[in-house]
Amino acid sequence: MCAIGKVYAHPPTLPGSSELYYGQLSAHVARWCFEASGPGRRTVVPILMRQVRSKTKVYRSIAFAAGVLALLVAAAPLSADKPTFTVGWSVYVGWNPYYFMNKSGIMKKWADKYGIAIKVQRFDYAPSLDAFVAKNIEACAMTNMEALDMPAAAGVDTTAIIVGDYSNGNDAVLTRNGVKLKDLPGKKLLLVEKTVSQYLFERGMALNGLESQIKQVRLVNTSDSDIAAAFISDTSHQAVVTWKPLVSQISKQPGITNIFNSSQIPGEILDLTVVRTDVLNRADGSGQKFAKALAGAWYETMALMSGKGPGTDKVLTTIAEGSQDSLESYKEQLSTTHLMYTPKDALELTTSPEMKQKMTLVKQFCFNHALLGENTKSIDDVAIRYPDGGVQGKADRVRLRFETAYMQMAAQGKL
Amino acid sequence: MSLLNICAKPSRAATWTLSWLLFATGIVMYFYTAQKRHKENPDDRVVPTLSQLASGIYQAAMSQDGDDQPSADAQGQSAFERFRHGMLWTDTVASSRRFFYGLALLFPAVLLGLHMGIFPYFGIFFLRFILFFDKIIALSVLPILFIAFGIDELSKVMLIVIGVTPTIILDTFNLTKGVPPEQLVKGFTLGASDFDVAYRVVLKQIWPRVLNSIRLNLKPLMLFLFAGEMIASTDGLAYRIALLRRHMGMNIIIPYVLWVALLLFLVDLAMRLLNKKLHPWFREA
Amino acid sequence: MVPGSLTESTQALLDPPPREDPFIRLDRIRVSYALKGGERKIVLDGIDLEIHAGEFISVIGQTGCGKSTLLRLVLGSETPTEGRVLVEGREVVRPDRDRGYVPQKYSLFPDKTVVDNITFGLEVEEFNLLTCFTPRYYTRRHEFRAEAMRQLAKMGLHETDATKYPDQLSGGMQQRVAIAQALVMKPKILLMDEAFSALDPGTRAGMQKLIREVWKETGTTVLFVTHNIAEAVRLATRVIVLAKNPAADGSRVALDLSTAEPDISARIEQVTGHIRSDAS
Repeated sequence: MCAIGKVYAHPPTLPGSSELYYGQLSAHVARWCFEASGPGRRTVVPILMRQVRSKTKVYRSIAFAAGVLALLVAAAPLSADKPTFTVGWSVYVGWNPYYFMNKSGIMKKWADKYGIAIKVQRFDYAPSLDAFVAKNIEACAMTNMEALDMPAAAGVDTTAIIVGDYSNGNDAVLTRNGVKLKDLPGKKLLLVEKTVSQYLFERGMALNGLESQIKQVRLVNTSDSDIAAAFISDTSHQAVVTWKPLVSQISKQPGITNIFNSSQIPGEILDLTVVRTDVLNRADGSGQKFAKALAGAWYETMALMSGKGPGTDKVLTTIAEGSQDSLESYKEQLSTTHLMYTPKDALELTTSPEMKQKMTLVKQFCFNHALLGENTKSIDDVAIRYPDGGVQGKADRVRLRFETAYMQMAAQGKL
Repeated sequence: MSLLNICAKPSRAATWTLSWLLFATGIVMYFYTAQKRHKENPDDRVVPTLSQLASGIYQAAMSQDGDDQPSADAQGQSAFERFRHGMLWTDTVASSRRFFYGLALLFPAVLLGLHMGIFPYFGIFFLRFILFFDKIIALSVLPILFIAFGIDELSKVMLIVIGVTPTIILDTFNLTKGVPPEQLVKGFTLGASDFDVAYRVVLKQIWPRVLNSIRLNLKPLMLFLFAGEMIASTDGLAYRIALLRRHMGMNIIIPYVLWVALLLFLVDLAMRLLNKKLHPWFREA
Repeated sequence: MVPGSLTESTQALLDPPPREDPFIRLDRIRVSYALKGGERKIVLDGIDLEIHAGEFISVIGQTGCGKSTLLRLVLGSETPTEGRVLVEGREVVRPDRDRGYVPQKYSLFPDKTVVDNITFGLEVEEFNLLTCFTPRYYTRRHEFRAEAMRQLAKMGLHETDATKYPDQLSGGMQQRVAIAQALVMKPKILLMDEAFSALDPGTRAGMQKLIREVWKETGTTVLFVTHNIAEAVRLATRVIVLAKNPAADGSRVALDLSTAEPDISARIEQVTGHIRSDAS
C-alpha cells in the first residue's frame, strides 16, 4: 500500500504528456482506479495509461460539446430571414410611449404585419444619439435641435418621420430670490450647455429684448444627472435651466420661481422620431416597412393615450413605469407637453409656415454655437428639406428631411 | 527564438522595433478606419482624418472659447498671445490649478499617515475610521458634497481630496509600519525625542517611497478632477471635452486627450527626477 | 549653629558610604505574552540579576531562549510582565541615551551618510527641527563632524568612507560605524544584540578585538548577547547563560560565572548542550 502511495506522490516523468502531472493531484482517483481494476492487472504503467486515457476522453468530450454549441450559436443568425431594425429611445415624457409599445406587444404586432423584426432599445439620451450617428441603430427619438447637431451635421442624412410633440412648458428657467431674466447678466446660470436648455435661455433673453446681454451671463455646464441636487443644495447659485421632471423637483423647494419656459416658445422644441435616410431608401423596401410599422404603432398608442377613462389610466401607468414615475407625475409632465395625438395634428404642425421660421431659429442657434461643425463655414451647409419640397440651405447639402408621408398614411388609415 | 524564454536577451534593434510596434499598429488602424469612413461620408466627425485633427489642434490652441466669434483685435495679436488666450491654454491653466491644489493637500495626508503609524494613540484613533472612509466612493455621495462645499472650485478640490487622500494615508501608514523597530530604538538611544524620531528618522526614510506612492496616485487624482469638471464647471480640460461631446467634436477631443496624457507624463517624470535628486541613497525603482 | 556639632555635608563625609545599589538590577523578572486561546507563553521565568558598572557581560544561550529579550528589557524597548528593571536605581521605561544600542541588522540610518549617522545623536541633542536653520547650527556641525571623524578613525575606518551611504559599506564596516555612532553619545551602558553574528569569521575576529579595546578605553558597561560560546568567553568578564527550564516553559539563568574561572567553556557546554563551534 505504501508503495502505491509513493508512486502517486510524485508526478511520473513520462515525457510528452502534461496530463500526467495531474497524477500528483489525483492520487486518490488513481488509487481508486487501481483498486477498481481488479487483481489481474496490477502493474504501474497500465494504470497511468488508463489515467491518461480517461483524462483525454474527458477533454475530448468537452471539446466536442463546445464545438457543437459554437456551431449552433453561429448558425442561429443564419436561420433568421427577417430584416431587423432597432429604434432607440431615452426617458422623456414624449418618448416613454416606446416602452409601452414594446411591453404591450404593439410594436411586435406591427412588425409582424410588415414581415420585419423591430427591436426597441432604451438608452441614456446622449448615448442614443451616439448610437444613431454611429449607425448602430436605425431610428431614434430626439429633439429637432439634436437632429440638426448630431446626425445631420455629422453628415448622416436623417429623416424625421414622426413629429410627436413639442415642449409646452417642459423646459424652464428657474430662479430663486425673485431673480428675473434682466438680473441674470453677471450671474452664474446652471444648465447643460449646448442643448435645448441653452436654446431656451437664449430665446428667453431675446424675447425680452436682452439679446445683447446673453454673453454676460456666466454659464456653468452641469450634467443633467446632478443639476437638481447641485442647484438645490448650493444656494449661492441663483438660476438654473433644465427640463421636467428635474424642474418639478426643483420647483418644490421654497422661493423658486419659473421665469421663462417653453410654453412661451411653442413649436420650437420639437420631439421627433427620426430614421436614417439610407435605411428608408433601401432597395428591398424594408426600410419603408420599418417606417410604416413605427408610425402605425405610434399612432395606435397615441389613440390609446388620448382617451378618457380607466383604460387610458392603465396605459398611462404602464408608460410611466418606463421611467419609474407615478401616474400623477407622468400626467403632470404630460400637461406641459403638447402631444400630437392624431396624425392630423402632426401634419398640421409640420406643414405650417411657422415650422420653417422656427426651424430657422433653431438652425441659427446651432450655427452660432458651432454645433453644426467647426468647419461649417455657412449656415446653409446643413440644409433642411420640408414636406412641400422647399429647402433651407444649399440644395446639394440636404441632411435633414421632414417626411410627412407616413403621418399622411396614418391619417388616411392606410397603414 | 522563443518568445517564452525567460533568459532571452533581446537585441537593440528588437527592443526598438517591438516597443514601437503597438503604437504604429494603432496609428495605422486608426487612419485606415478614418479613410474608410470618410469615403462613405465626407462629413464624418466620429473618426477625424489627419487634416481634421490638424485643424482641431490649431483651433484648440489658437482660438478662444468655441462660442465666441473671433474678435477684431485677435488679428493683431502674435501667435504667442493667441495661444495664451486660446482654449487649450486657458483650460490647462484652470485644470492645473485644481490639480496642484489637490496635490498640495496630499502632504498633510502623508503627515497624518506618519503619525498614525508611529504614535499608537493616533493610530487607534484614526485607523478604523480611515479604513472605512476609504471604501466610500466619492462620486456616489455627490449631493452631500454639493451641500457641504457648493459646486465651485472648493468642491472640485475636495472631491479630489476625498477620493485620493485615504489611499495616501493608508499607504504612508503601511510604509511607516514597515520601518524596522531597531531604527526607532536607535533613534531613542541617540537622544532623540519622539518628535525627532518621527520626523528625522522615520519620515526621512520613507519619503522616497511616499513620493512614489503619490506618483502612482496621479492618475486617480486626474480622474477625480475630470469627474468634478464634467459634473459642473465653467472651464477646464474635462469641461471642454464634455462640451465637445455634445456635437461630436472628436477632432478636438482626441488632441485634448493626448495633451492630458502628455501633461501627466511630464508631471510623473518631474516627480521621478525630483525623487532621484533628493534621495540618491534610495535604490529601488 | 550648635557649637561642637558638624554641618550635614561634613557629617556625610565622615559617615560610612551607603551600600551602593548595583548599576543594573533585574528584580524578579518575568516576561510572558498571551497566545491565541488564552494561554500565555513564558519567555523569561524569574530572572534576578545584578550588574556592576564597568563589567563586560556576555549573555549566551540557545536560539529562542530569551537573551535578546533580556537585552531589550535593559534597553527599555520591552517591559516585563512582572518585576522591575532598574538602572542606577531608576526604573527603565523607554530607551534613552544612557543606553547605547547596536543591533544585528538595520543598525544605521539608510538615508544618511556615514558621518551624518554618527553626528545624528549630537545634532539631535542640541538642535530641534526649527533651530536647524540657524547659523549656529552650521558652526556646530563642523565641530560635530570633526568629532565624528575622530571616532571613525578610532574604529579603523578611512576618511573616504565618511561620505558613503550605509548600503555601500560591507557588513563589518557597517557594524563599526554603528558602534561609533553609539559611542559618540558616551552612553553609560552599551547593549549589543548579536552584533557580530552576521559577519564572516575574519571580520568577526577584528571586531572582537575592537570592542575589547573600546571597553578598556571607555570603561562603559557592555552587555553583549551572542550564541557563540568562544566569543563570549573571549570577550567578557562575566558570562550569564540562559537555558530553558525543562520543567516549566521559560528560561532562567542557568550559570553566572566570571570568565576567570577555570573550565568555563566546558561548564557552559554542559549546561547548554552546545556543540563547540570550531569557527573563531
